[in-house]
Amino acid sequence: MSQGHTRGAVKPATPPFSPVLLLGMALKPVRPVVLQPIFDAMLKMIRRRHPDILERMADYGDRAVCIDPVDLPFVILLEPDPEQPRLTVLREVDPGSVTATIHGPLGMLIALAEGKVDGDALFFSRRLVIEGDTEVVVALRNAIDGAGIDLIDDISAELGPLARPFRAAAGAAAGLIGRMRDDFETLRSALIAPAVKDVDAQGMRIAQLETEIKQLRKTARRGGVA
Amino acid sequence: MATVSSTPIRPELVCPAGTPAALKSAVDAGADCVYVGFRDETNARNFPGLNFNRKELAEGIAYAHERGAKVLVAINTFPRAGRADLWHQAVADAAGLKADAAILADIGLIEHAHRTHPDLRLHLSVQAAASNPDAIRFYAERYGIKRVVLPRVLTVQEIAAVSARVQPVETEVFVFGGLCVMAEGRCALSSYATGQSPNVNGVCSPASDVRYTETAAGITSELGGFTINKFGPNEPAGYPTLCKGRFIAADKASYLFEEPTSLNTLAILPDLIKAGVTAFKIEGRQRGRAYVAAVVQAFRQGVDAAMAGLPLPDIDLDRITEGGKQTTGAYEKAWR
Repeated sequence: MSQGHTRGAVKPATPPFSPVLLLGMALKPVRPVVLQPIFDAMLKMIRRRHPDILERMADYGDRAVCIDPVDLPFVILLEPDPEQPRLTVLREVDPGSVTATIHGPLGMLIALAEGKVDGDALFFSRRLVIEGDTEVVVALRNAIDGAGIDLIDDISAELGPLARPFRAAAGAAAGLIGRMRDDFETLRSALIAPAVKDVDAQGMRIAQLETEIKQLRKTARRGGVA
Repeated sequence: MATVSSTPIRPELVCPAGTPAALKSAVDAGADCVYVGFRDETNARNFPGLNFNRKELAEGIAYAHERGAKVLVAINTFPRAGRADLWHQAVADAAGLKADAAILADIGLIEHAHRTHPDLRLHLSVQAAASNPDAIRFYAERYGIKRVVLPRVLTVQEIAAVSARVQPVETEVFVFGGLCVMAEGRCALSSYATGQSPNVNGVCSPASDVRYTETAAGITSELGGFTINKFGPNEPAGYPTLCKGRFIAADKASYLFEEPTSLNTLAILPDLIKAGVTAFKIEGRQRGRAYVAAVVQAFRQGVDAAMAGLPLPDIDLDRITEGGKQTTGAYEKAWR
């Protein structure tokens, strides 16, 4: 999917085949400015409920970070100035205008924000791609992880009497997305099954050839006829 | 599968927390103790956005104590000449906030803490590299050290011998997490490449000196301008430390010091319990609360099973290990 990113020579994380990827395609015609009020509200909520995030980021207030959900056609620009923080949704960002960029699928970025997955583990497994200033990325990761964010709890707390229906709707949506994800995985497996079969066969053939080459080399070293 | 038949000491599970949320995760997952650091260079995980201010520590101690867990404060770097006040203040605050112990490495700071805060329980950090009974007894007799965190260079048999000879000093060993290949507290690799030392500034391979470059061929990691590793497109990566760099020698790129691998002793917990160890330490104050919860739960189950003489749980921790690999390290010295 060709999305809006801080693309340079960098190869961002590959988007998984998921419901979010389809949502991203559907959202492509939507102008980022239409989504901006959601991010304004989100920032307001974060400042109110988790002021420690910006406090931990105080030394990095002038370093803009681009958060790139690779399965959506938008990027999010975070300017963590403790006095005037900004969270802006954009189609793309000029790589030179940010100090760092974090690329990853939306679901993984949310799980990371909620402390459900470990950032180092995602990096080790190469599912999270970082470019630019590593220091501000580490600070942001630690600040968010340390805040104990729970999106459903946080949003519910802002909704007053609507909290209960919101929780019910969020639970239903989570269940639906989970089922869709399973279906997508089944579909993905079915689509790539012939290719996987070919790759497995090639892998076995390569392993066989490697064994033969080793044997030939050994024979040659002993002065035998290869 | 190994089990324990008779084990008099139930080891404490000492778990890492870099943030208040991680402290809660550790306590909720079954930690007996949580170790933390202040947000400055007095501890060996002085990373951006990490650690506790005084108010957070007070709240963290209250949370842990209400649930029967202890909080240990790591003040385990070496004070810089002319700046000892920062370290002295850290010790005073740990004592004032009623931390259950301070984990110290520098002999001058230990003397200061022992003299000025006689009620503060002192543990000897792994950074002090005390690995034999004479050294440990010196710290205990002279400065009242109650527990020593043993360097990750001893076999299980050596740990058993040391533990028996230093009683009543308690021994604590690492059971999971990142490994250092150098003599603890004596590594100069990071300061060579970046000017910042883990022993003094509390940061190994500071993030400000790390750069990653991703290309179609994979990822290149640089530290202080030196290229220290390249990983293929799907190859698991590790921390950007020089000790885990891959270098070319005789035309072959390989790990000269150590591969990106995590220590995991889940399978040998009964042996460590039999060795008379008092506390099991999990490394990783720099890791997120998901790591803390997963590892603490696994080792809580492991220790409980071992103590009950039950088969050890088979818990896969591959997904959170460095480089996707695990080792029992020096405990078994399987490479010999």
